[in-house]
Amino acid sequence: MPILTKRPNKTPLGLYIHVPFCRSKCQYCDFYSLATKDDKLIDGYLDAVCDHIKEAGDLAPGYKVDTIYFGGGTPSFFGADGMAVILTTIRRNFDVDNSAEITFEANPDSVSDRLLHRLRAEGFNRVSLGIQSDDDEMLKKLGRPHTYSQAVSAYYKIRKAGFRNVSVDLMYGLPGQDLQDWQETLDNVLRLNPEHISCYALKIEEGTPFAEYKEALNLPDDETQADMYLTAVETLRGRGFRQYEISNFCRKGLISKHNMKYWTGGEYLGFGPSASSDFAGKRYTLKRDLRAYITGIREGGDIMEDLQEIPMRERAGEYLMLRLRTNVGIEAQEYEKMFLLPFAPLEEVLEKRRRFFHATQTDTGRWVLTPKGYLVSNDIITDLLLAQDKSSPMNRI
Amino acid sequence: MTDLQQIRNFSIIAHIDHGKSTLADRLLEACHAIDQRTRAEQLLDSMELERERGITIKATAVTLDYLADDGEVYALNLIDTPGHVDFNYEVSRSLAACEGAVLVVDASQGVEAQTLANTYLAIDAGLEVLPVVNKIDLPSARPAEVKAEIEDIIGIPAEEAPEISAKNGINIHSVLEMIVRDVPAPQGNREGPLQALIFDSQYDSYRGVIVYTRVKQGTVKPGMDIKMMATGAVYKVVEVGTMSPNGLCPREALGAGEVGYITASIKTVADTQVGDTITGVENPAQEPLPGYRAVQPMVFSGIYPADGAKYQDLRDALEKLKLNDASMSYEMESSIALGFGFRCGFLGLLHMEIIQERLEREYNLDLITTAPNVVYRVTKTNGEVMLVYTPLDYPDPMEIQLAEEPYAKVNLIAPQEYVGNIMDLCQQRRGEFKDMVYLDARRVELHYEMPLNEIIYDFFDALKSRTRGYGSLDYELIGYRPSRLVKLDILLNGDIVDALSFILFADNAYPRARKICEKLKENIPRAQFEIPVQAAIGGKIIARETIKALRKDVLAKCYGGDITRKKKLLEKQKEGKKRMRTFGTVSVPSEAFMAVLKLDED
Repeated sequence: MPILTKRPNKTPLGLYIHVPFCRSKCQYCDFYSLATKDDKLIDGYLDAVCDHIKEAGDLAPGYKVDTIYFGGGTPSFFGADGMAVILTTIRRNFDVDNSAEITFEANPDSVSDRLLHRLRAEGFNRVSLGIQSDDDEMLKKLGRPHTYSQAVSAYYKIRKAGFRNVSVDLMYGLPGQDLQDWQETLDNVLRLNPEHISCYALKIEEGTPFAEYKEALNLPDDETQADMYLTAVETLRGRGFRQYEISNFCRKGLISKHNMKYWTGGEYLGFGPSASSDFAGKRYTLKRDLRAYITGIREGGDIMEDLQEIPMRERAGEYLMLRLRTNVGIEAQEYEKMFLLPFAPLEEVLEKRRRFFHATQTDTGRWVLTPKGYLVSNDIITDLLLAQDKSSPMNRI
Repeated sequence: MTDLQQIRNFSIIAHIDHGKSTLADRLLEACHAIDQRTRAEQLLDSMELERERGITIKATAVTLDYLADDGEVYALNLIDTPGHVDFNYEVSRSLAACEGAVLVVDASQGVEAQTLANTYLAIDAGLEVLPVVNKIDLPSARPAEVKAEIEDIIGIPAEEAPEISAKNGINIHSVLEMIVRDVPAPQGNREGPLQALIFDSQYDSYRGVIVYTRVKQGTVKPGMDIKMMATGAVYKVVEVGTMSPNGLCPREALGAGEVGYITASIKTVADTQVGDTITGVENPAQEPLPGYRAVQPMVFSGIYPADGAKYQDLRDALEKLKLNDASMSYEMESSIALGFGFRCGFLGLLHMEIIQERLEREYNLDLITTAPNVVYRVTKTNGEVMLVYTPLDYPDPMEIQLAEEPYAKVNLIAPQEYVGNIMDLCQQRRGEFKDMVYLDARRVELHYEMPLNEIIYDFFDALKSRTRGYGSLDYELIGYRPSRLVKLDILLNGDIVDALSFILFADNAYPRARKICEKLKENIPRAQFEIPVQAAIGGKIIARETIKALRKDVLAKCYGGDITRKKKLLEKQKEGKKRMRTFGTVSVPSEAFMAVLKLDED
């Protein structure tokens, strides 16, 4: 598979840096971030993350870092200097591949030429720009601190700075939005000609302001949302995009290599509050509390929220639930070899789904879901998990 | 044997939550019957379920030795009573074992529906009713007003009623003194032929059935041959004694006026029916004590294991429950949709819920319960008369000459301002008004004749909500009457699900069918294809809903931090699927069956 950069001897590793600062909190967002630029907090964060990276570097001598992702929060709001310090620390403490994919997330209101040139010079080579909507009224409703024209100008600045792998984030299923509105958003954004587009359905998360007045939001119903999704898939496909994950589309094979690790069982280490890791068979998440994170790193205290060692049987379930999100899909021999479980019971479920055009097989015999199948993927995956639960380990390979 | 003059037999009656069980505990404590450590538990309500629901399901009794202010030691027999209309008969038998009743009234809530209903049961049983005002420690307590209420509404003197706090142990002594002073000592000739009233019985795996009894006349001793006058069962007494809070205390004999237990190697509680009279085989009584009624299940429903493989477990559990509950019945039944299960009979819906909950909790079973029904009587065109216990047996309409349903005489008591509401309710439930009597200036008693089927569902709840809790209800079967009945079938994706069928009055069929289809639509998850939900009578579709095909069930985002959460979510969804029954091509969760049962709640 071309997903992971092949390097003999050393295991590939992804690094995720969570930057928990934003200009303001968006109404729908439940990621951990603080609407602050408090210098003390920022310095404390920077020290803590760098110390954390130093600590971790020693633990991963056999690894080669091939993806680095600065997410948030809003890394562009945090600023180029801090990000440069962190990236430098990473390079000093990890073996970073020369051709590593290095992404940062940016918001239109905090993208300056200076920032972009600096980050380009530091080696960042991919930008994920949060555009979300082409409608200023909608952006306001969402609590986004920018307009669409700001987003367009940010996009061109990014291009001018020399980034040749740019992704934009869009949302659908927004308050009061109809199919036509969404189609227009797609058409407008496609004029920018990005290499990569992520389209996310708005999900009302508990604890967000939207959750409190959900009823008043006038959200499109499931049927409309399903139509919006299929519209996006069709429109983007017509414009040369390949759908490589439920919500992700790319041109020229420019998938997000970092994100692909999440879906194919790759290893990654996370830094910063709320960041997750899957490393050496264990999965853990760091505390969703910046101050606790800082003190924890400084004083050697506990910074983990939950740590679990994932047994093989569970990994087999994750294989289904994660890979079926992608166009990599699942395959009989690969599955049987990895988990010593029979694929036949799964095949039976998939064959049934094929009849409803929910699943299909590629030329090489890999099972993948269709866009219609992606839409009901929870239903399909739970059927597969049930079939998997009932199967017993194979007595021969 | 205790001298008659030294015995007081009483029970405690109250509206729910007015503090009956707490007072019972304090009385036990005051007589040094229990130590402080066990205080947390309300001793008489020993079933977990009873404590949780705050109601007493089974009657129990206990003997307390009380050293009164007059220097004499009295045997105080406290007989606890169940507290729901389903168990009215059991209550009346418990009260028949007493001479007095302590009426507990909450000092802030005042007189409420059950206060009245229970007081009248006690007065009907000829008991001396002694009011007590409880919870006087609450800031909202208004003891003087509540006493006036007791005098006005119930019509018994309350001026002298002790003001107590059972919770904090205030004035408990005055309650005990009142019991000694005001509850009449029992009477009865200890030499006469034996007449002992059974007010409860309990199965014990070592001794067999333990019969709780009040001896009204004569004396019972170990070795004596006894006979249950209604069931005709004959046994030799092994042991007699009294119940102390710490267990059973064997005695040489139980004489008239005393409350205690009898064991006689009795194998089944079916032989020791509540209300039956025990007499001696030699020198038998001429007459049994009045008031016996054979207990008959009135409501039947199918109980199936959610997981078909657990059938044997369910059978074992029912067998064990039955040992202790003569009023429940069960018989094997099989449904095409649900496989093997049991048709079970209950006294009423509360009884049904209790049994169901006990099966689920104490025996760890996951159950599917079908809609409850009464017993219908059908005369077929070939002249055969059959009793229909389950919709599965209901004959084809072409074969039915006459269909009949059971009717009950219903007595309703409520303050007069609710008469209009009650009449509306009864009319909706096909009640025939008989007459109405003013019990006093405020309270009215209404008499109706009504199909039992209309009573068993949620009539009691509807009555309470339309009378702000002041209405009370009692009913008694009066026989079968011809009725226009139909069997309603439910079809999922074109196939009849037999476990969802039920019998009902023809005029109610349309609205009910519509409601059921709606409920099922809400409760059956969408599938890959459209599922029609239909209701039919004899093949004719009368209601339809459509469960649309599932179009969207996806998590748009799944990155590093989401994986654990998403996994849990899918795991939960998977477990939900495991608990579904598949009918043809449609998966139905057990909650859908429950939703159909609770049709009347909205």
